[in-house]
Amino acid sequence: MSETFAIPQASPAHEVQVQQAQPGLQFLRVLPGIILLAAIGYAGKLLELNVGKYAKAHHWIFPNIEYVLWAILLGLAISNTVGIPAIFRAGVATYEFWLKVGIVLLGARFLLGDVLKLGSVSLALVAIEITGAIAFMTLLGRLFHLKPKLTTLLAVGSAVCGVSAIIATQGAIDADEEDSSFAIAAILALGALALFTFPLIGHALHLSDHAYGLWAGLAVDNTAEASAAGALYSDAAGKLAVLAKTTRNAMIGFVVLGYAIYWGSQGQAKSVKNKAAFLWQKFPKFVLGFLLISVLATYGFFNKDQIGALGNLSRWAFLLTFAGVGLRTNFREMRKQGLRPFAVGAIGEVVIAVFTLVLVIAAQKFAGW
Amino acid sequence: MPATKIKAANSSPTKLSWDTWAVLAAFLAALLIRIGVVKHVPW
Repeated sequence: MSETFAIPQASPAHEVQVQQAQPGLQFLRVLPGIILLAAIGYAGKLLELNVGKYAKAHHWIFPNIEYVLWAILLGLAISNTVGIPAIFRAGVATYEFWLKVGIVLLGARFLLGDVLKLGSVSLALVAIEITGAIAFMTLLGRLFHLKPKLTTLLAVGSAVCGVSAIIATQGAIDADEEDSSFAIAAILALGALALFTFPLIGHALHLSDHAYGLWAGLAVDNTAEASAAGALYSDAAGKLAVLAKTTRNAMIGFVVLGYAIYWGSQGQAKSVKNKAAFLWQKFPKFVLGFLLISVLATYGFFNKDQIGALGNLSRWAFLLTFAGVGLRTNFREMRKQGLRPFAVGAIGEVVIAVFTLVLVIAAQKFAGW
Repeated sequence: MPATKIKAANSSPTKLSWDTWAVLAAFLAALLIRIGVVKHVPW
């Protein structure tokens, strides 16, 4: 499967081909951007430590802002003012790689029993969420007279897992790059809004870490934003958000396969010959990595100190991811994408957010968390 | 096309995806911690 990392930019688009055949050159190309991600992430950590102290020393009333939000805000400030210089772009695009490394390592902090218990609750909620989201987004797309394939991309993006799902579906149903670009911009813009609105709503409703984490994992579409929205609430909520989102990600192959078969039957996409191979190709491998690390941790392969070290390493990987979330969000560029796909996405996301919130609150009462 | 796109094109099916590389990198890190090469990761 070819993988595409998209960074919305103010300048006209470039296509940078990262040749896998030249790993040394590729490493040099991504290094400046990785250093930028690390610098922004670390600056976020330093700001968390020092701003509160400084405010307290000067008797100022200042909210305690966590490193997650500082890293995102710093990234947003750079992206929306000076922009990202070309030398950093390839490296900044690796934030999805660090996200997946962080998720796999986070598996060490979950015992297998917890994964199965929470995963089964998440799975039931995810199945309801995916069905409801696809049906609602398809209906909205028809009401707003969007192109059918653009509607499919928006439905998959909001139902399953954001940008990755859109890219996987675009290839499978032969959709236009322009449609994919619209859908990605809508999902990213709404993900950025969720970062700021979800924690406020969660606190206003006095949601527990458990309920909030599940909600963020179910309702926020892109994995990076879902992880960040969870971590902005609390460490425990962040873990739960990652687990719920990972469960959602695991469904990507089935949903994309369903759409590929549908568009193939309409004669508007290549037919799928080997369904098992298709599912394996689309399945996010980091979900397996997460489960395997969890199994190893459960059966004592790592001692307590080593699990602590793996957890901290996972935090560092997420730190790079959160810096990347801010850096790749460019509001000016998103505004250029047009209003209708954004309106469909926004209406759909609000309805899905309310729907999943009701689901989580009902599940909370049922399960007695 | 409004986005800067970095394509890691896997023209051959035998090449590993970024997804798989992320899993391998995480397992390598876990192995280094398990065998004691990396003893402590500060936060």
